[in-house]
Amino acid sequence: MKLGAVTRGVFTAFLALVVGAIVLELTGRDAVEVYRLLVEQSLLSPGALADTLLNATPLIFTGVATAIAFRAGVFNVGVEGSMYLGAFAAAWVGFTMTEWPPGLLIPAAFLAAGVIGALWAVLPGVARAYYGVDEVVSTLLLNYVATSFTGYLVSYPFLAPGAANAMSPLIAPGARLTRIAPPSQLNLSFVIALAVAVAAAVLIYRTTAGFALRAAGSNPRFAQSAGIDVRATIVMAMVVSGFIGGLGGAGQILGVNYRFIQGFSPGYGFDGITVALLVRNDPLGAILGALFFGALRNGGATIQLFADIPIDLIHVLQAAIILFVTVEPRVTGWFARWRQRPTKLSGTPLPVRE
Amino acid sequence: MLANALHPPKLAMKNVSKRFGAVQALCGVDLEVARGEIHALVGENGAGKTTLMRILCGLERADTGTVELDGRPVHIPDPEAAHRLGIGMVHQRFKLIPSLTVAENVILGSEPHRRGVLDRRAAYDQVIRLCEEHHLEVDPGARVGDLSIGLQQRVEILRLLYRKAQVLIFDEPTAVLTPQETEQLFEVLRALKEQGATIIYISHKLWEVLQISDRVTVLRRGVVQRALPTSEADAAVLTRLMVGQDVAPVTGEVSLPAPQGEPVLALHDVWATDDRGLPALRGVSLTVAAGEIVGVAGVEGNGQRELAEVLVGTRPLVRGSVTLLKREISRVPTWRRRLMGLGVIPEDRDREGVSLDFSLADNAIATRIRSHPFSRRGFLSRRAATMFCRRLIDEFNVVAPGPGTLARSLSGGNLQKFIAGRELSFRPTVLVAAHPTRGVDVGATRFLHERLLSLRNQGSGILLISGDLDEIFALSDRIAVIFRGSIAGVLNRHEATRDRVGALMLGRRGEDSVA
Amino acid sequence: MGTWTQALLKNALDATAPILFAAMGGIFAHQAGLLNIGIEGMMLGGAFAGVIAAYYTGDIVLAVLAAGAAGAAMAAIFCLFVLGLRANVVVVGLAINTLAVGLTGYLLPTVFGVHGAFAPPGLRGLAPVRLWGIEAIPWLGPILSGHTILVYLAWVVVAATAFLLYRTVWGLRLRAVGQDLEAALAAGVHPVRLQVAALLISGFLGGLAGAQLSLGELTLFNKAMTGGRGFIALAAFYFGASRPWPTAGASLLFGLFQSLQFRLQPLGWPPQLLEMLPYVTVVATLVLVRVAEARRRARLARLVTVQGQRGPELGVGGAG
Repeated sequence: MKLGAVTRGVFTAFLALVVGAIVLELTGRDAVEVYRLLVEQSLLSPGALADTLLNATPLIFTGVATAIAFRAGVFNVGVEGSMYLGAFAAAWVGFTMTEWPPGLLIPAAFLAAGVIGALWAVLPGVARAYYGVDEVVSTLLLNYVATSFTGYLVSYPFLAPGAANAMSPLIAPGARLTRIAPPSQLNLSFVIALAVAVAAAVLIYRTTAGFALRAAGSNPRFAQSAGIDVRATIVMAMVVSGFIGGLGGAGQILGVNYRFIQGFSPGYGFDGITVALLVRNDPLGAILGALFFGALRNGGATIQLFADIPIDLIHVLQAAIILFVTVEPRVTGWFARWRQRPTKLSGTPLPVRE
Repeated sequence: MLANALHPPKLAMKNVSKRFGAVQALCGVDLEVARGEIHALVGENGAGKTTLMRILCGLERADTGTVELDGRPVHIPDPEAAHRLGIGMVHQRFKLIPSLTVAENVILGSEPHRRGVLDRRAAYDQVIRLCEEHHLEVDPGARVGDLSIGLQQRVEILRLLYRKAQVLIFDEPTAVLTPQETEQLFEVLRALKEQGATIIYISHKLWEVLQISDRVTVLRRGVVQRALPTSEADAAVLTRLMVGQDVAPVTGEVSLPAPQGEPVLALHDVWATDDRGLPALRGVSLTVAAGEIVGVAGVEGNGQRELAEVLVGTRPLVRGSVTLLKREISRVPTWRRRLMGLGVIPEDRDREGVSLDFSLADNAIATRIRSHPFSRRGFLSRRAATMFCRRLIDEFNVVAPGPGTLARSLSGGNLQKFIAGRELSFRPTVLVAAHPTRGVDVGATRFLHERLLSLRNQGSGILLISGDLDEIFALSDRIAVIFRGSIAGVLNRHEATRDRVGALMLGRRGEDSVA
Repeated sequence: MGTWTQALLKNALDATAPILFAAMGGIFAHQAGLLNIGIEGMMLGGAFAGVIAAYYTGDIVLAVLAAGAAGAAMAAIFCLFVLGLRANVVVVGLAINTLAVGLTGYLLPTVFGVHGAFAPPGLRGLAPVRLWGIEAIPWLGPILSGHTILVYLAWVVVAATAFLLYRTVWGLRLRAVGQDLEAALAAGVHPVRLQVAALLISGFLGGLAGAQLSLGELTLFNKAMTGGRGFIALAAFYFGASRPWPTAGASLLFGLFQSLQFRLQPLGWPPQLLEMLPYVTVVATLVLVRVAEARRRARLARLVTVQGQRGPELGVGGAG
């Protein structure tokens, strides 16, 4: 993680907050007051920090998952889908294998979630790698398939007996992750998320597989000519991405909800995209990015209750962040070359692809 | 012809300067071209010829200087303005849209229309008329993507004529033409000249310049060395002006008999398709022995690219076999071929030779990431990479701050030296070098040629694919000509002449072959 | 059974309309060389603006125009970032979608004091139009007649799109820009003006799609009402290779799917499975098309080489 990257990320976040402030003021709210409340409710009041970490946990998973794919040049926007399917898989293990001891149950649930999440990502991965199918469209649409399908599963075959809404049976007590900061719901999945982020960083920067991944994302033709099987690398990236996404789903189910509920994710996968963009696809940076968004979400939820500010403001902030992040390198470059008139106009691919 | 106040030159560029960041591309350049003159603009890569012309075409803006047409100063802020002034350029890389028809490409930007609705009939007729007027034959309804390079170039010329261009600029027009097509182009140029067109001809092919042009302006590093009538110039004079010193071409030891080494690379009846699914290689059979350089000559687009890709392993064979050091490798993955001793200097260094956003160290080890000492049990060794890269930089005179530098910041010639150095550092038994000195300055070219010869002398076999006949003749022990995906003939160096090679490049069957 | 089918088909035409508008919008952007993923957001913004305008002015024409304008405004933001600041097309598109959700979700309670759906009583939407002549046709009549004006307009837009793109100077230049920017520049074509125009049209059409949703089928606004239709439209024009009439065909097919989903639910079919159907079909087809293409190319390669020397001279270009 380079210091320059962190600074730029912070600057971008700051700009976004300015935009949010403008929106607030234009609709008759006191921006300063709102932001003060936000900071207070997300970090300072008792239990707020724990809740912020809680909110950040799924974003660490999805942010890292997305970042890995982006790094390989694959625009995987389907982590949400992997998360849903992984979550269901974990829930299934949790409410089916009720006799197993926790030492077996929890790893099994996570493993199942990861595998299912990975398998879900394999199809668009192979389609992109070997047949050139645009992964943006395929993963995007597959998200809807995943959410619909799991919704079906818990509305019909796996509907909890006696439940009115679409949800699965509760998982066994042995499958539940320990709460580490009661009364908050913050649990072990936060620690697992941190571990996953670190492992991802090691993978990307220190292993040959990670080199192959970065090379494939940076210049696939050269990578191929250098002996890297780019297509297999793309699939590998998707598999890892889906696996981590699935783990994220397991974390939510085993740590927070204790059952699979339709619609349990208010867009964690998509938030992961924002995080990955903000930290420029760096796994360790994703931790910071996730914390930032976790704070926003936590604070946002509270001020929605207390100050009647719709949480959708957070969406506006997110949009602003995305826009500024993607523009920022251009702006910096522009300042550096501002005397010359650009003669070409084209959107630049990000991540880099062929 | 000296210009005076009564007869101003058709075109006069005065004191033109242009800077790109830290590079002064042009410095106080003057250019004067008379009406009905073919004026050659020569210089090495990076001399500024293309930049100067881009300014003339409105694709760039000069920092200082003026442009005068017929004695009157003109302002050229964009290509549209250049068109209106009657200036047009036939680029090296054609600016044609493959999925549109010839007529559509020709009229694009000045379409005949009725209140916004295209008048297709009129477009068609106008194109036909132009073809007849200038003796250029093209089918207006054909899809440009389906045409041969020579025909596509004609479409480009038609475009200029349609816009009533009076000043036509040709940027390295023969880079992709056969010798015969080049002659045809020269005829077209002469005809245009007779009709009063003013032509600027950019080239670094001296024999062409001497043949076709009336006057020559030589640029070197953005500065005009001299402008002189062609009648007063010869190859030696021009070379000296371009380079600043007499450059003795590096000659291989042509007098040696054909080496008796074992074949290190053999292709037998190789078939392969290109990206569009059409056959690009049709039964290529060729061998390279240890200690020899086999040059593959040919007009671009006859299968050279696919040949290199098949050898590297980035393109599958449909049929036939490739043998590397006695082992059949058509199913062997690239990384293993490299471990077996295959080295590759790719055609397009930016796209295939490096990752521009990676450091030099990362680029240096990219072809060997799975090997000791660069990795062990799946984990990379930073130190080994850095050390290797540093040695590489020193040994090959790469001008760069250090192994941590991004490849992006290196100049073309330096990058090429880096890439060649990387490949040569692993002592390949077989080296495939595709256009190894394209876009590289004379100094680096000499260096690379020396290294290639030295590699050969150490017993490696080199397959040299190049569009530069000078290079082929300078380095090869045997010269193979590729035409339409097959080997049209193979000649020993001492019996090869430009005529024979040229004929083979065109598909006229040669008398004999030494395979 | 006859009436059920008729109702199904009629409903399909209604469902197709927003997809058609959005898909045509997508085509304009795509032909200009820019993939507009933000159509979903432009639809949502249009739906919102349409309802708000209808509520405040009571003028339905104004409301529809407002919807279009909202879409175009979002497209303008898109242009600013993609063309002006050279940002990544996909990312900006996603941002537009998020922005739309955020702004509409934020403004609804904050400015209008409404939580959930905005369905003010007495909100007049688009009235169904009865075409007397068409209605008389046996069986087909009731299917084709009785739609809002926007539904009919959508098909006019398809024809207009085809005409604009392939028969006008503007269209030729736009396609040139989309195919090869450098070549177009060298021909003296100004890409930015064309691309901006194409994007604004794209946004406007997206807004109209939203108007059909919030003022046509139902008369309310709900944050989730676009329901992924923008992406179905995306899939439609991918199918149609950005050609207007094939895309229209695909849009019709998806409209049928949506209608089926609606109609089969009361019969006990799990709604989620039906919901999945269009997406599954799209992804499956996208993949299968490519697979078939790859197989064909491999077969062609083998064919040519087997025939050896006498292989067909396929010429320099154009796949067989």
